[in-house]
Amino acid sequence: MKIVIQIAKRAPSALLVLLVLLFVVFCLQRLTPVNPARALAGDRASESALQSAYEQLGLDEPLYVQFVRSVTETLHGNLGISGVTQRPVLDDLSVYLPASLELLFAALLVAIPIGLILGVSSAQRSRGSGFLRFSLVLGSSVPIFLTALLLIIMMSQQLRVLPAAGQSSFTDGPIGPTGVLLLDALLAGRFDVFADGFSHLVLPALCLAIAPAVAIGRVLRSSLSHTMRADYIRTARMKGLSEFTVLRSHGLRNSINAPLSMAGIQIAAIIGSLVVVEDVFAWPGIGLYAVQALDRGDFTTISGVTLALGLIFVLANAVVDGLQMMADPRIAS
Amino acid sequence: MALLAQIEQPSQSRTRRRQLSIPDALAIVATVILLAVVVIGPRIYSVDPLTPDGLPLTPPGRGNFFGTDELGRDVLARVIDGMGLSLLGALLVIVSGVVIGGAVGTIAGAASGSVDTVLMRMTDIFLAVPGPVLAIAVVAALGPGFGNTLLALSIVWWPLYARIFRGEVRRIRYSPHIEAARITGNSRWRILTRHMIPGAIPAGIVAASLDVGAVILSLAGLSFLGLGAPAPAPELGSMTQQGLTYLDTAWWVPIVPAVAAALLALVANFLGDIVRDRMRFF
Repeated sequence: MKIVIQIAKRAPSALLVLLVLLFVVFCLQRLTPVNPARALAGDRASESALQSAYEQLGLDEPLYVQFVRSVTETLHGNLGISGVTQRPVLDDLSVYLPASLELLFAALLVAIPIGLILGVSSAQRSRGSGFLRFSLVLGSSVPIFLTALLLIIMMSQQLRVLPAAGQSSFTDGPIGPTGVLLLDALLAGRFDVFADGFSHLVLPALCLAIAPAVAIGRVLRSSLSHTMRADYIRTARMKGLSEFTVLRSHGLRNSINAPLSMAGIQIAAIIGSLVVVEDVFAWPGIGLYAVQALDRGDFTTISGVTLALGLIFVLANAVVDGLQMMADPRIAS
Repeated sequence: MALLAQIEQPSQSRTRRRQLSIPDALAIVATVILLAVVVIGPRIYSVDPLTPDGLPLTPPGRGNFFGTDELGRDVLARVIDGMGLSLLGALLVIVSGVVIGGAVGTIAGAASGSVDTVLMRMTDIFLAVPGPVLAIAVVAALGPGFGNTLLALSIVWWPLYARIFRGEVRRIRYSPHIEAARITGNSRWRILTRHMIPGAIPAGIVAASLDVGAVILSLAGLSFLGLGAPAPAPELGSMTQQGLTYLDTAWWVPIVPAVAAALLALVANFLGDIVRDRMRFF
């Protein structure tokens, strides 16, 4: 309960962040070399037609009036018409977002256990920890598209065990109620679709998970090796607790804060990589949607995607805050 | 990534850090070789990266060490140029990030009071916006181009340095040598430029050196999405993107530039680790 109140107290600053993001997007819209009035009126429009398009878009009004209007439009869910699909951006987002969320969740589900294992095993000073340290640095140095290509070459071209593109090989897969393919397949009892969707999910999720897993592992290594030298760890060992119990309820519990902060930071990086990964694996999420918009220079779509991803990031950070308070109640009080 | 410097605690004792370990030496040697390739490489290996040098998609071999791409251009020459471009770009982003962030952080830390509050609130808001996404939006708005990707990344990259510089300046503010400088009648400007900023620089250098690899990867990512320099320019990310079609038939076209980006980032990250370990006990 306390945690809910604490998170609610941070809502105003989260809203402020979203407002600033709106403001930045608004400024960027003014900076685009594409003249929106020209785009509306057409290339060979007369001077007066251009002028009326200019007024129709409200570009003759003062900037603050334009900004307030853009905020109210956004709050009403009007994000403009996408140049990619010729449909409202909000409709597109609701179509593409579930696939991206599926990928993000899968990546986190892979990244957190791997990060924990990497961190715990490299914190114990054992044989091979030097090699582990090297692979941690290596893992944070490989560009995401190289990881993707190597996985595709290995798993899809050489071994032929996993598909390299798309989300599903079924065209008659269940649609709705959640929009997330794996959940829908389970709810509809289509286990063949589920298995196929899962095999499509493995490579992109793994690809997205590597960098955050390594980052979490690095931070956990240093905070855990610090914690394990504390006096209360020695006491716990002296009480006769097993090494596993010492590690789980005394060591990890007290070193989980820094990795959680890191996970929060990494979410921004994952969201950025999402665009590249969806591009390489042809995953039909908002990243691929954004790439199509980038190819056309369609900034209306890009603004919508930016706001959606910003919202995800703010929400994810609220979750991380909550987890930190659960791990260390002192933060909440 | 710069937050790693703050989150990660020193893991080894002071005395062990003084000697140069073998991995450290290897990393330094690798850096020197890489720098030599990037700086002197184009002069020795005088194949034009922009014009065809052989048949399209020639496999790696004697004529073209890493083969040729879909237009018959030499992949090695293009990759060397691309690495130079990445490195230059990353350094420019880091330098401008440190200058902007350093200025904001130093002013906030030295002025304190309401100036501090306003500047740091601004910084926090920028930190709370997902950086990569913002960078993509900035380039999308301004139009693709090498300069615009650098600008976008610089806009995203300064807030961490502002935090670090503010922390350092506030730490130094009350130390005895600042007190002494004040008592002996130095002007506030002189104290700021001669004592506070030099005191904050080591922490800034550590954070910056840890970030070079991440900036190289971000630049490659933006270029992969087609936001970098336009077509003929040899950028590592866009070379990989354009070579994707040939992954089955001519693997070297997409893979070699991607591996080059990884190599650059790897060496930069190792060097950053060394700098962090050495500078901690300044």
